[in-house]
Amino acid sequence: MTTAAAMKAEPLSNLLRTYRSREVSGFDEVLDGGGAVREHWQTVLDDLGELTDAERDLRTVRLARRVRETGIAYDIFADPNTSAQRWSLDLLPVVISAAEWRFLERALIQRARLFDALLNDVYGEQELLRHGLIPAELLFSDPAYLVPCKGILPNAGGLMFYAADLARGADGQWRVIDNHTETLAGIGFALANRVVHTHVAGDIFKDCNARRLAPYFQELQSTLTLHSGRENARIALLTPGPHHEDYFSHAYLARYLGYLIVEGHDLKTRNSQVYLKTLEGLKELDLIVRCISGKSSDPLELDPTGFIGPSGLLRVCRKSPHIVVNAIGTALAQNRGLGPYLPRLARHVLGEELDLRDAHRRWLGDADARQELFANPERFTIRKAQEGTGRPGQAALGWEARALSTPDREKMQREISLHGATLVAEEKIGFSTGPVYSPDGLVPKPFAVRFYVSRTAAGGYQVMPGGLAMSIAQDRAVALSAPDGQTRDVGEGEQAPHISLWRPTLATARVERSQRVIQSRVADDLFWLGRYSERADWTMRVLRGALRRVEEDSGPDTGRRAARKCLEVLLGSDLSSVTGTHETPPDVEIERLCTRLITTGLGSRTLERTLDGLYRVAHLVRDRLSLEAWQTLSKFRGGETWRKSLSAAHPVEILDLLDEGITAIAAFNGFMHENMTRNFGWSFLDMGRRIERAQNLSEAILTLFIPVPDPEETSSSLLLLLELADSFITYRSRYRLDPMLPLVLDLLLLDETNPRSLAYQLSAIARHLESLPDSSQGAGLPDDRRLIIALLTSIRLADVEAMAKEDKGTMLERLLMDQLDMLPELSNEISRHYFNVLDEAPHRAHTRADPSL
Amino acid sequence: MIYDIVHKTHYRYRSTVVQSLHLVHMSPRAMPGQSVRHHSLLVEPAPASRQDGIDAFGNIEIILDIEEPHQELVLVARSTIEKSAPPPINRISTSAWDALDRRLLHAAHERDVDVLLFRCASRLTVPTLEIADYAARSFAPSRPVLDAAMDLVARIYSDFKFDPHATDVSTPVTQVFSERRGVCQDFAHLALACFRALRIPARYVSGYLHTHPPVGRPKLQGADASHAWVSVWSPEYGWVDFDPTNGILVRDEHVTVAIGRDYDDVSPISGVLRGGGEHSVTVGVDVNIAAAATAG
Repeated sequence: MTTAAAMKAEPLSNLLRTYRSREVSGFDEVLDGGGAVREHWQTVLDDLGELTDAERDLRTVRLARRVRETGIAYDIFADPNTSAQRWSLDLLPVVISAAEWRFLERALIQRARLFDALLNDVYGEQELLRHGLIPAELLFSDPAYLVPCKGILPNAGGLMFYAADLARGADGQWRVIDNHTETLAGIGFALANRVVHTHVAGDIFKDCNARRLAPYFQELQSTLTLHSGRENARIALLTPGPHHEDYFSHAYLARYLGYLIVEGHDLKTRNSQVYLKTLEGLKELDLIVRCISGKSSDPLELDPTGFIGPSGLLRVCRKSPHIVVNAIGTALAQNRGLGPYLPRLARHVLGEELDLRDAHRRWLGDADARQELFANPERFTIRKAQEGTGRPGQAALGWEARALSTPDREKMQREISLHGATLVAEEKIGFSTGPVYSPDGLVPKPFAVRFYVSRTAAGGYQVMPGGLAMSIAQDRAVALSAPDGQTRDVGEGEQAPHISLWRPTLATARVERSQRVIQSRVADDLFWLGRYSERADWTMRVLRGALRRVEEDSGPDTGRRAARKCLEVLLGSDLSSVTGTHETPPDVEIERLCTRLITTGLGSRTLERTLDGLYRVAHLVRDRLSLEAWQTLSKFRGGETWRKSLSAAHPVEILDLLDEGITAIAAFNGFMHENMTRNFGWSFLDMGRRIERAQNLSEAILTLFIPVPDPEETSSSLLLLLELADSFITYRSRYRLDPMLPLVLDLLLLDETNPRSLAYQLSAIARHLESLPDSSQGAGLPDDRRLIIALLTSIRLADVEAMAKEDKGTMLERLLMDQLDMLPELSNEISRHYFNVLDEAPHRAHTRADPSL
Repeated sequence: MIYDIVHKTHYRYRSTVVQSLHLVHMSPRAMPGQSVRHHSLLVEPAPASRQDGIDAFGNIEIILDIEEPHQELVLVARSTIEKSAPPPINRISTSAWDALDRRLLHAAHERDVDVLLFRCASRLTVPTLEIADYAARSFAPSRPVLDAAMDLVARIYSDFKFDPHATDVSTPVTQVFSERRGVCQDFAHLALACFRALRIPARYVSGYLHTHPPVGRPKLQGADASHAWVSVWSPEYGWVDFDPTNGILVRDEHVTVAIGRDYDDVSPISGVLRGGGEHSVTVGVDVNIAAAATAG
């Protein structure tokens, strides 16, 4: 061995030391039977070996950070009390040799063709069932068999997407452990993994020549455009919404392909068309990429229990069958019971031998299969034949048939016989192992890979050159249940000459973008995002004002009175009923109130509730937020810690934490302000913020100055007001005087150049409303415009000098009361006019008849 | 026998329905022994569009788009139906219930998929072991399938109490079974769960029943109702109808509207509304004899 070669071999053998020491029973991806590194892994391992330990650890940390920031790992709606599955991405990809890839590619395409033919038959002539090639009862017992789709699916242009979970058995043979024919099956995760991995580790593995994903998605895009029949097609991806565990994948893919992301209630159907409800009225959609289950696609005809899809979608498909891909009903082909029948089906339908077998499964509707199970229960796991497509790796665990040897045996056997048509028994297969990077070097772990297949414009199929590899628990046959969320990128190792690959920016492949339209629902969410972010800011400012006055001890009496005022601002008249007295409460009491206002107990305006609201709507419109804005917000709240320390902290610490919170909200608003396109969406976000601010300010002035306080208290209240409205500096630079009522009122009520004044908020709202499309048909102004004119006029006509001179403050009070009456009305009118506030409701009647004969 | 049937459904909503979409199965289908002489469906307010079609079971289905704001919705289906008495059934001569596989899945034969579909449990007819046990008492080994079916239907009639307040449209069959009460729709679902637990092809039938007033009293208008029963398959007779609510073999007083796996497939009116709040519904059905028999 030359010196150079020896030096190169050294780090590699270090990396593999732990790997070699682990017991590996079956097939190993990296090492062959003799313990030598397989050829197609050599380059990857060499590249990794060239890095120092520190560099490898650094990259691992960066990967984790990038995964978190991209949002793959984030599951906001997960119950905090359960250990939500975290997504992690390994430094090392899974490498597949070029020869093997060619085999897999052919085999996967063959399966897509087979399922395509199967679906067209089952929803059409049913010849395959008539001739007994598949037991009819297997498919008819599957809840995914949607009878109303009969006659529709065969005209829909066939199976567009297919994904398969593959694992290599202990014998080195690849086997299909699950099929996914319903939706895109989490392809967004695979894409995001590749983008993140390339970003962090692309330079390490650049010698490996993995093929880029972009051409695959370009082909997919042109196929879908062709399928829609229109060049400038308006294409939307239909998702169940942010609550779904796959939402990240949907949103990421939609953004990557430049498609709209829509939910069922964004859509309206008519005879042969589907429309998107937008601020500008109904817009026709040309194609829907379905990411919701077929069964939930139409509450009218398919799912009497749910409201996920748009009602009436199926009747649209009857007239325009191409409009939904995958066509509704395709989930049927992923029934696990089909496995044993596929080889015969391939010979009959395609005239070919099936290249890739399914893991050994038997459909328990078959009496012989049940006998086999009952005779050898320890060999099998029992699963539902149809499970649907959830987050990759989240297949249900199945039920160990071992229990069949317990005393309850007879009952269980009868249960299985009764429901056998919807169950399968699967035999455990060992899995091959592949390397996972750990601080001690490489460790062998069993894994499975999800591969993606889609139709091409020419009518064939293509396989995405990559995949989503997931670690799986040993002994847990068969469908992909990944216990730890560990994922890996998959690359095919070409031994061909070098081409430039794995470019850091996949975004260059983005082709056309469909016209941006704002759904009414999104406008609604943005409006509330504006309101909540302003409310959060205001609440924190008020709390800070109160606590400061207690802590800073600036002359005990006025300090406490002002602190009490602060809380009155938040609580309004509730304060007296909470403290039970009109007297100024002692410091301790004020602190206690602040804490309760932060966490729980006091009405809907606690900081906790407001932040919950803010975070919830932010999540709903995540795909409209810039990455920075989202990150600012998630760091801030991501702090469960922030909230915990807030509720446990000493008042002085609370002040620091409030400062932190106010800064975070300011940064969030700043990013929104700088990065958001000034479209109608922006108008609603800004209007929400302005209405909230106008309301808070009006309330504050009313609380602090009505009834009119004595002169000493007036001046401390003025200081407080300027602080809350963040206008102290403006006031000082303009007047260089101690605060005086008429001047402060002018600055905060009338001055349309001060972005904190009431008049500024109102005129901004007026401008937004002017710019919005007017979809109302009636004559005259819509109510929202009438209201804003009234609000603005009332403030513009106000005479602050006269108001300041009044003993009882009647004029000021009337002015503010008018504002406080009309602002909520304005908010309601905007909702009514622009958003779809009505929920859909089911409508069924019982059939009852008395016995009569 | 010729029947004139008026089926009127009247919905009243607490608040305005802005728009609604309905799937309607109120138009009787033609089938052996039953022909449709006349049919009309009147909808108020008038729908913006109406699509008539035949569903996968051969039923007539109508989809209505109502885009006019409304607080009441009225559907009136008028049908004139001619029924002939079905041929007599010799229940004892039918195949053994546990030998149907030989007939249905014979290797050399083409399978009758339209029969096989109805052997499978559907959303509303999933059996439990208890239901399977209940059914099994009528199905001794080798008993002729229709003879056993009649026995089961008669048992349901005597073991279960008709009680319109015990259940609603979403009551699961398990509850009907454990409480031993329900309405026609529930008994039909229970019978189907029993048959399908034993893999006997059986289907849900929705329609009308001609009722008789108590002796010596005039027949009340609107006193009839939409009805539901079941149909069981045998190789010898094809589909034969049984009425578990009345414990009888169906003759010529039942008028079929639609056939499906369960209520989900044939619900007379189902819909999705925007707005509306709570609603109340009144249903009136009149089945009157127009003529005793046809000239031919």
